[in-house]
Amino acid sequence: MEAVLNVTFFQELLLSTIRMATPILIVALAELYSERAGQVNIGLDGIMAFGALVGFLTSYITGSPYLGILAGAVGGLLINMVYAFCTITLGAEQIVYGMAINIFAPALASFIYKIYFGISSTLAQATLMKVMPIPFLSKIPVLGPVLFNHTIIVYLTYLLVPFTYLFFTKTKPGLNYRAVGEYPKAAESLGINVVRQKYIASMICGALAGIGGAYLTTCYISTYSDGVVSGRGFIALSAVIFGRWMPGGVLLAALLFGFTDALQLRFQVMSSATPYQLLAMIPYLSTLFVLAFLGIKKAGPKANGKPYFREER
Amino acid sequence: MKRKLFALLLTVAMVTGLVGCGTSGSTTPATTEATTGSATETSAETTAAPEKTYKVAMILDSSISDGGWGAACYNAMVAAAEESGFETQYTDGLATADFATSIRSYCDLGIDLIFAPGNQYTDAVKEVAADYPNVYFALLNGTVETDNIVSILPDATQIGYMAGALAGLMSKTNAIGFIGGMELDTTKAKLANYEAAAKVINPNIQVFSAYAGSFSDSAKGKEIADSMVTMNDVDVMFGDASAVDSGAREALANYENRYDIGQPADLVALQDSTVLIGSVVTDNATMIKLCMEDVKNGTYGNKTVYGNLENGSLSAQYLEIVEQIKAGTFIK
Repeated sequence: MEAVLNVTFFQELLLSTIRMATPILIVALAELYSERAGQVNIGLDGIMAFGALVGFLTSYITGSPYLGILAGAVGGLLINMVYAFCTITLGAEQIVYGMAINIFAPALASFIYKIYFGISSTLAQATLMKVMPIPFLSKIPVLGPVLFNHTIIVYLTYLLVPFTYLFFTKTKPGLNYRAVGEYPKAAESLGINVVRQKYIASMICGALAGIGGAYLTTCYISTYSDGVVSGRGFIALSAVIFGRWMPGGVLLAALLFGFTDALQLRFQVMSSATPYQLLAMIPYLSTLFVLAFLGIKKAGPKANGKPYFREER
Repeated sequence: MKRKLFALLLTVAMVTGLVGCGTSGSTTPATTEATTGSATETSAETTAAPEKTYKVAMILDSSISDGGWGAACYNAMVAAAEESGFETQYTDGLATADFATSIRSYCDLGIDLIFAPGNQYTDAVKEVAADYPNVYFALLNGTVETDNIVSILPDATQIGYMAGALAGLMSKTNAIGFIGGMELDTTKAKLANYEAAAKVINPNIQVFSAYAGSFSDSAKGKEIADSMVTMNDVDVMFGDASAVDSGAREALANYENRYDIGQPADLVALQDSTVLIGSVVTDNATMIKLCMEDVKNGTYGNKTVYGNLENGSLSAQYLEIVEQIKAGTFIK
């Protein structure tokens, strides 16, 4: 009896880990694509909030969460173009404009929500995306339900990790892409259009972060409320540094965060005598701990965060 | 002209957005109302007029459409304001750091009464109230009494008892759960009394609790409820965490025979939910109305408006039905 209980415990814990890690992973990958082209974007939280709203509204109006995800991507992309224009074309400070997005986008999202629903206190609910169990694989005990019984967005997110790895290490466009983040001058002299590459990077980042936000309101919970993102964008930002700007590392970071968060919730339920603030720290403490051990000696792209001026010497 | 007004509106909206640096939500709706409403008149004019239009404003950390606490408090304020002839404004989605700034800006806008619906606003209200002796503050779940702060205190013991007794009666698995938003005094009291009441009904019952650390992270509420059901076979839950509770209800809806008890409005009547079996209803509207009357009469301050079963400010729908049966008006 106890063994069975333990198996379900671990199964649920891992399932919870996957669920909680997915939005962080999507958004961390978004940041990875951005920073690999030298664009530090700390506006992820804001883009997510906007994606969450657009995704929710679309899914609410059309009844299709798939369209919601798509709309979230488009919304995120558009919002991020503000950041892209200011930092790439105008060469402005990236941190400042990332922060601007963090302030502007959630406010805009909340504004649109209120315009659409009016000043109303009714809880609007949209349809949630259905899970798509993979035949046969989802029947494997323990691992089946944990890994192969999710929405399609979850599968695609995890598939994006090896894809990103192969893209950045094995393909020519991927290496060109990275060159822009490492040494844009050299890249430009070899015929790579640095400005275009940076714009593409920002588009990918915006779209993925928007999907990350829309995931929350179309796959996770069926309602939208201000603050639904709850700082997940910033956690994703740290996951990129933690993962040393490589997709595998980012995956590990997101999973570690998801796992410790799922674990601390269960610890809270198990021992209500322990102050919950202490347990709620676990995900952040473990992140700090691992960062301290790994160090950040091998830092990210060399030209990360630096504005690029074509004419400057 | 319209276009100019719109441009002005947007500018004001953006400026407030920037001033509230780090605000996760928006300050826009309130500003919109203020600009389009009568706030464009100077305050001197309003006070000079014989019939003054009183104004009440509410601040909120979650959202007024959270399907729980925030929605109920907003509705209560609007209902009370309608009866007392107040104009209403609100700002929601505020971060803790912005509570005081938001209250302060309402004070500067010439608001008469500020409604802070929760214990978590205590410090901000105290801080600002000291600087604005002519503005009145109503603090829900508060314990402060000054010349311009009145606390509205629904009885957390009775709320906990009512929810706990119902949970104890309903639970078939002998396990019930509780989700808190933050460890506020009232939340702790509700949890303790919820547990005590359930144990009186059913001594074998186990109570599991967790805090989301937020009032708006509905996804976390869903995770907590999920883990309580799968790990501990919890079948009745009660919560004190606004939008987080809505997330918990979503998780419970995925299982069979799992129920939730809502608060502080009659959520059973308001929501199309399969898991809500009852609501502990706090009649915030009546209590806010008492404050509004005090503002009008100039007798505001130095008191606490208590809400309990005795004075009718607390109730549960099944109690009302019992009363109706007693009176012979239930089914005629």
